[in-house]
Amino acid sequence: MPVFQLHVNGKMHTVNVDGNMPLLWVLRDVLGLTGAKFGCGVAQCGACTVHLNGKAIRSCVTDVGVAALTEITTIEGLSDDGSHPCQRAWVSLGVPQCGFCQPGQIMSAAALLKSNPSPDDDQIDAAMRGNICRCGTYPRIREAIKEAGKLS
Amino acid sequence: MTFIYRVTRRDFLRDLGVGTGALVLGCSMAPEASAALPSFNELIHGIPVPGIPFVALKLNGDFIIITHRAEMGQGIRTSLAAVFADEVEADWKRVTLRQADADSTKFGVPFPYPIPPETKLAYPYNKTPTTKGMFILDNDVAQFTDSSRSMAAFYMPMRLMAAGLRIALVTAAANKWGVPVSECYAEQHKVKHISGDRRPLDYSRLLLGAQKVPVPPYGDLQTSLKKPNKWRYINNDKMRETFEGDAHSMVTGKLQYGADIQMRGMLTAMIERCPVANGTVKSFDPTEALKVPGVVKVMKVSIPNPLGPGGVGTAFMPHDGVAVLAENTWAAWQGRRKLKPTIEWDYTAPVAAENRKYDSDEYHGTLRDSTSNPGMPVRYRGDVDTAWGPNVVDAHYYVPHLAQTPMEPPVATARFTGDHLEVWAPTQNPDIAQTMAGIIAFDIPYEKWEDEATKDELRKKVTLHMPLLGGGFGRKSKPDYVAEAAFLAKENPGVPIRVQWTREDDIRFAFYNAVSDQYLKAGLGPDGLPMALLQRSAFTSLFGTLFPPPRTDFTKEQNDYYKEKRRVFRLGGQYPYGSSIERSQGLEDVPYAVPNLRIENCKAPNYIRVGWMRSVANVYHAFAICSFADEMAKAAGRDPKDYLLDLIGTGQILDLENEHVEQNYNNEFPIQKIDVPFSGSKIFQVVPGYPPDSRRLRKVVEEVARISDWDAKKGTYPKGRGLGIAAHRSFLSYVALVLDVSVSDNNELTVNEAFCAIDCGLAVNPDRVAAQIEGGINYGLSMAMLGEITVKQGEVQQNNFDDYPVLRISHAPKKVTIHMIKTDYDPTGVGEPPTPVVAPALANAIVAAGGLRIREIPFHKKIKVMA
Repeated sequence: MPVFQLHVNGKMHTVNVDGNMPLLWVLRDVLGLTGAKFGCGVAQCGACTVHLNGKAIRSCVTDVGVAALTEITTIEGLSDDGSHPCQRAWVSLGVPQCGFCQPGQIMSAAALLKSNPSPDDDQIDAAMRGNICRCGTYPRIREAIKEAGKLS
Repeated sequence: MTFIYRVTRRDFLRDLGVGTGALVLGCSMAPEASAALPSFNELIHGIPVPGIPFVALKLNGDFIIITHRAEMGQGIRTSLAAVFADEVEADWKRVTLRQADADSTKFGVPFPYPIPPETKLAYPYNKTPTTKGMFILDNDVAQFTDSSRSMAAFYMPMRLMAAGLRIALVTAAANKWGVPVSECYAEQHKVKHISGDRRPLDYSRLLLGAQKVPVPPYGDLQTSLKKPNKWRYINNDKMRETFEGDAHSMVTGKLQYGADIQMRGMLTAMIERCPVANGTVKSFDPTEALKVPGVVKVMKVSIPNPLGPGGVGTAFMPHDGVAVLAENTWAAWQGRRKLKPTIEWDYTAPVAAENRKYDSDEYHGTLRDSTSNPGMPVRYRGDVDTAWGPNVVDAHYYVPHLAQTPMEPPVATARFTGDHLEVWAPTQNPDIAQTMAGIIAFDIPYEKWEDEATKDELRKKVTLHMPLLGGGFGRKSKPDYVAEAAFLAKENPGVPIRVQWTREDDIRFAFYNAVSDQYLKAGLGPDGLPMALLQRSAFTSLFGTLFPPPRTDFTKEQNDYYKEKRRVFRLGGQYPYGSSIERSQGLEDVPYAVPNLRIENCKAPNYIRVGWMRSVANVYHAFAICSFADEMAKAAGRDPKDYLLDLIGTGQILDLENEHVEQNYNNEFPIQKIDVPFSGSKIFQVVPGYPPDSRRLRKVVEEVARISDWDAKKGTYPKGRGLGIAAHRSFLSYVALVLDVSVSDNNELTVNEAFCAIDCGLAVNPDRVAAQIEGGINYGLSMAMLGEITVKQGEVQQNNFDDYPVLRISHAPKKVTIHMIKTDYDPTGVGEPPTPVVAPALANAIVAAGGLRIREIPFHKKIKVMA
């Protein structure tokens, strides 16, 4: 099996896996980074969202080979201590319910805020509609993104 | 005997997450005399717990609070702990939470216990209630987290326990100071003296003294409860802070869900299951799957069960299938893809052959025929047949099968060592999952499945850990995925096996909310209000899934046996009719003040697995009756809100018994909470519960009208915009919802805003109550606008979120306004009650905005849902 060099959260890892293995399973099963979640496997729900070079992507459909040449950031690497403005806003507004989708929501939101620090509702909806939350935390996600924009 | 005792047993200490070097004191209360009683009650009234202490104090005075309910987003784990912390005057920073393992012998409140016949109850029917309806306290499902009952059941026990502990600490300080107890009080982890002269004593300095304090009498516990104006967290926005710890671990990705568990040597299993209920595996070829790097083993999954292979009527056993075991998830998945085309299924068994014929579109017609004819009357007053009059309104409503789809697909891990099974499973029902896993791992014969001694034995041989759930919504009430893990673990001793479901598995092998057709008919009088009202409900009952419906391959004796079992087993109804549990959810308790009323339940046999989804039977019952209220208002030319208030009338406690309601589940509660003496001097509390009270329903309608500005907006909206209203009681709480929608000239629907009024008794954690309402509305919008599972030839047609769409942020209303009614009632359900009102409020709002009347879910078939 091929060997890949992965640059994840500022650390270099060497992995020896099937080249078609999606990044999600490399992160979870090989590197033990379980913050990115499996929710659908077909880029429908966004629970697996991570950043490649700062851009939000669905790791469940991204081959490890594609990710190998990039800076990969997962929820574990978004901040050392939960101090990213999104994380702070998520906590202070009590966004999570079951919490399972929230790492993916936050990675999408963090990417949005980088390009647009003060999005309105429609811009938030457009950027976030790839992330499903079955608990229905959407109203608070909108508020938290606006709050995080102010904190950054 | 005292409250506080030293914890020395190694396993308790491990459960508490501390080493054996630590000194830990467990807390319990009261005399040893009742040692035979099980344990939650003991904590309020009795004896040291013969298991895990509910609460422990470390030598430094910090608390460890054991949280025993399943946490799936409702916030119960922190809310209940905060109730305890509030009452014991703990500093929340010095509280650590530990999730309990499955252990219903420890966490069960003793029930059903006979209530002494001489007990005087304020009871609407003027008779002594039986215990059958008071499901909340059932010992066998102590941790079964469903029916929105965790706070209702455990709020008061938690407070009483904490009050006892506080008294012990305060008494210890008084003894130390040599002053009367009445001069001392607890505040934020310290005991203080009223004079202010003495230096406050931290709880850490009072532990040993508190160990010597005898247990206060139960009456003292009750009278010592903190007064509401002293509450620090309960019913206070500060409660939000207690959730911050869990929220932090969620947003940093640190929280370990079921799928995140990793163990040395663990294999991941994926299972290709028989697409038709009760079908079996005829043959398969593992060759290609085994060639996938990382795949270790391919094996059949078929759990021995005298009822036949999993599906309809097999006590929640999983469908038969073939598993691929591999070193990682991706390899298992790839192996499964290679395996799938080689499997041949066997549908020759009569029950499988019958299920194979199931077509949900056709069945829609079958259900409609069922409700087009008289069914079994389950509640009636007056005589509808002579009261129709000339002005008759009628309509059918349809709700298809629905899948719960929690964000976290089912997953379970198990390891079998020959004499012990260890399981890690995100489950709403740890009690049942634990015993079912044990039944499989230890080959328990069917005759002993319900045997209490056997179950107790299995509870010792099976350890079931409960990670937090990535959503549940009723799906994880069923233990089938845990059973699969137990089966594979047993077949592979020593190897930890994680069964990982895909989203496709989750959607194709859910326990679907019942498919239902409802028929409503009213005869309107001269004032436009109904003189006669008929509701017929046909829905596929869960109990057809739990126990086998009559089968041709069973003997008459077997069929009679299961018929009887359905009858006695927790109000299981008579197949193919619904159970009382389902009928009591919005059907038998129709709250309208109509002089002539008849409610009928109609036949509905089932051919796929039926389970429960957030608010369950209330979904289809509320959709029908609350839509029909609006249709009657339209026919009468009245404002829907004013008409609804007239339908409800001034309100009253519904006298269901005198209207021939045979048995009841959600509705058979005493009006007032009661303390029932038993075993001589001891007392236990029956969970507060309340029969349907249409005064409370009326109140939420009035309040939602107020906060939505209904009267002022009436008539001012342009064409294409409208308000819809619905109000419904479920899980003992009352909810009214107003939705503000737009419908464009091109028939495009946008939900603009939602207004919700709830009476859930005391809102213990207002922030989480609000969160549950926001989420419950969105969950309801998802099912109303988009939800539909269809079946052809017995196979579910949907696979993933592309063909089973769910609500996205862009569909969700921009604003949700919530009003919680202040009442003196104890807490009641919150997780489910906001959901049933959504579909009817939406249908009614669409009509108000000039759109079509929609009587079938999903609405997107009739109107374009904008996102």
